[in-house]
Amino acid sequence: MTAGTPAAGRGRSLASATTLMPLSGLALVLIVGAVVTPGFYSGANLRLVLFQAGLIGITAVGQTLVLLGRGIDLSVGAVMGLTTVIVAAQSGGDADRLPLAIGLAVLAGLAVGAVNAGLVVLRGVPPFVATFAVFVLVQGAITAWTKGAAAGDIPKALQPLGSGRFLGVPTPLWLFAVIAAVVAVVLARTSAGRRLYATGSNPRAARLSGIRTGRVMAAGYLASALLAVLAGLVSAAYAGHVDAQLSRSLDLNSLAAAVIGGIALTGGRGHIGHTVIGVALLAVLIVWMIQLGAGAGGQLAVQGAAILLATWLRQRGTNGSGGGG
Amino acid sequence: MTRSRTKITAAAVLAGTLALGACSTERESLTAGLGEAADCTGPQARAAQQKYAETWRTAGEAIGLKGLSPAQAKVCEVDTGKFAKERPKGGYRVAIAAQGPTNAWALTNEEAFKHRAEQRGVDVLYASANGDVNKQVDNVQQLVAQRPDAMVVVPMGDAITGQVRAAAAQGIPVVVCSGRLGEGSGAVSTVTRDYELQGTLWAEWIAQRLGGKGKVAMLSGIAGVPTAELPKAQAEKIFAAKYPGIEVVAKQNTDWSATKAKTVAAQLLARHPDLDAIWSDSSITNLGVYEAYSQAGKPVPPVTGDVTNAFLKAVRGKNVPFALGSFPPEQSAQCLDVALDALGGRKVPSQVNVDAAVFTHERIDRYVRPECSDDLAVPSALPAGLLKKLKLC
Repeated sequence: MTAGTPAAGRGRSLASATTLMPLSGLALVLIVGAVVTPGFYSGANLRLVLFQAGLIGITAVGQTLVLLGRGIDLSVGAVMGLTTVIVAAQSGGDADRLPLAIGLAVLAGLAVGAVNAGLVVLRGVPPFVATFAVFVLVQGAITAWTKGAAAGDIPKALQPLGSGRFLGVPTPLWLFAVIAAVVAVVLARTSAGRRLYATGSNPRAARLSGIRTGRVMAAGYLASALLAVLAGLVSAAYAGHVDAQLSRSLDLNSLAAAVIGGIALTGGRGHIGHTVIGVALLAVLIVWMIQLGAGAGGQLAVQGAAILLATWLRQRGTNGSGGGG
Repeated sequence: MTRSRTKITAAAVLAGTLALGACSTERESLTAGLGEAADCTGPQARAAQQKYAETWRTAGEAIGLKGLSPAQAKVCEVDTGKFAKERPKGGYRVAIAAQGPTNAWALTNEEAFKHRAEQRGVDVLYASANGDVNKQVDNVQQLVAQRPDAMVVVPMGDAITGQVRAAAAQGIPVVVCSGRLGEGSGAVSTVTRDYELQGTLWAEWIAQRLGGKGKVAMLSGIAGVPTAELPKAQAEKIFAAKYPGIEVVAKQNTDWSATKAKTVAAQLLARHPDLDAIWSDSSITNLGVYEAYSQAGKPVPPVTGDVTNAFLKAVRGKNVPFALGSFPPEQSAQCLDVALDALGGRKVPSQVNVDAAVFTHERIDRYVRPECSDDLAVPSALPAGLLKKLKLC
């Protein structure tokens, strides 16, 4: 009963409320940031925000596709880590071997997406459990393969993907913009998009009306994994080296961004615009926290608080409008 | 050192934070609880203290710093008579409660131990904590149950202190290796590279290079972790007390991630374009700093930290001034030697500052190993065959 399904009256007011909350959050952070931290609007700092937004955004779009189909993908960070390790190990810093390395990374990503989809769709494993298990499995595989010593150079040829700029804007943001635009059109204007919303809103009804919901959900997981591979490439290109620290973390920024923006965890509600706002808010928060000198603990706490606040406000909004899911 | 602690659980962070409160007194307390078996004022103890102070002096001189000395090297000579044991026919059995091969540093750390054990005909009982202090509590218990002759512990956090004390109470000499434990652990000796020395070397080198005047940023690893906080506290103390002309304009954490370090450095560059030096505790951080500055087309300011082959490979032939002091994984071999000394009934010093490479950019060619893995801890003391087997070279 939100933007996805054009509903009347009350539905529309709810839709604007879910958009307004993260937007006002973003405005608030931007204002407080400007007041508290000098140099917050310097060009270099803005570019960092845009880079972060691009990196998070690419995975957040994938996460959105999964969430809309009533799923959740916790394996995004693992696929990103796996991509970096594969590219470093296969190319050995040599640009000639880059295409093969990227090809392998894509295959590995597809495999992870297929396992996620298989577990959820064919075996009926709850998505949270399935994708978390896959996350742990992939982490284990990386650790065993690299003996815990993930290392290596990323070919310089890949660098523009992470550190390049076009018209002053970091490449990752362009990638995010293009992906978000394409997905927005697919969701809003095509039958594929309608099938995804129908599946997420009410899988039973969707199935009865002839939608092959399994395929729809599986496509979401595959898309999410592929976008995670792309984000892994961007991240590797930015650092120029394998970051053992990153390849080991349960990166939930994609999920946080989508949820903060207003994509419902219960499926079928929300659109890419929500994701974009959530991504912007999260990126600003992250860069601001770094600028404030907050350690990893402080950053995670603030992100957690933002997610809680967003879901809590939305819960109240839903109850207040008297409807419920 | 950085890699040794990169896998930090929330528990370890918490333990580290708790330990911090006591860190100013930690040096003195290391010797507490040794009982009457420790001699802290006699001629032998004084000789040990001089030897300890000597390690500071030589480390400083390696990068042109004169007359460094520890604030208070309260090293005692511990009488290990009660641990003395005839060597059994099959050789001593020595347990190692290791970090577990969660990264290259830790892998090298335990391989160096095993290698040394083989050389000295020692039977090794091994347990991996997988980087987790809670797991290590179990590990120490299980190792003690197997009645080893001696035990070496690479501590993942202060939570294991109780188990170490219990082991010591059962007559097992325990050597704390590549790290520290708080008061009353009952360990006969702590064998590690001195964290305060690291912080001192990096701060004094920057002060000397800047002529005691300039803007400095400090980049540490993970907030609350002793490996990050102890050198940082020492450096802060030095900047504040000795160099009024040095202004610390920013203190940030990089979580020992090159990616985050690059972001942090890019931000520093924007806010403080006139930065004169970056005090850092790690070459993982330095790699990110190098990437950020070189991509912005700016000269990289002088940096400090421990040693990684990745950083040396990246800046070789580039104009990047640095002073590095390694936290060698091979120090575990020295830990075994001290444990064997204790079993032999010889007196051992309560603290050993292990030897480590200290050098500046001028001697990069002596240390960089372009043909080896980024993760190789340079300079490596391990034989080439073993490095190859570990896929480090």
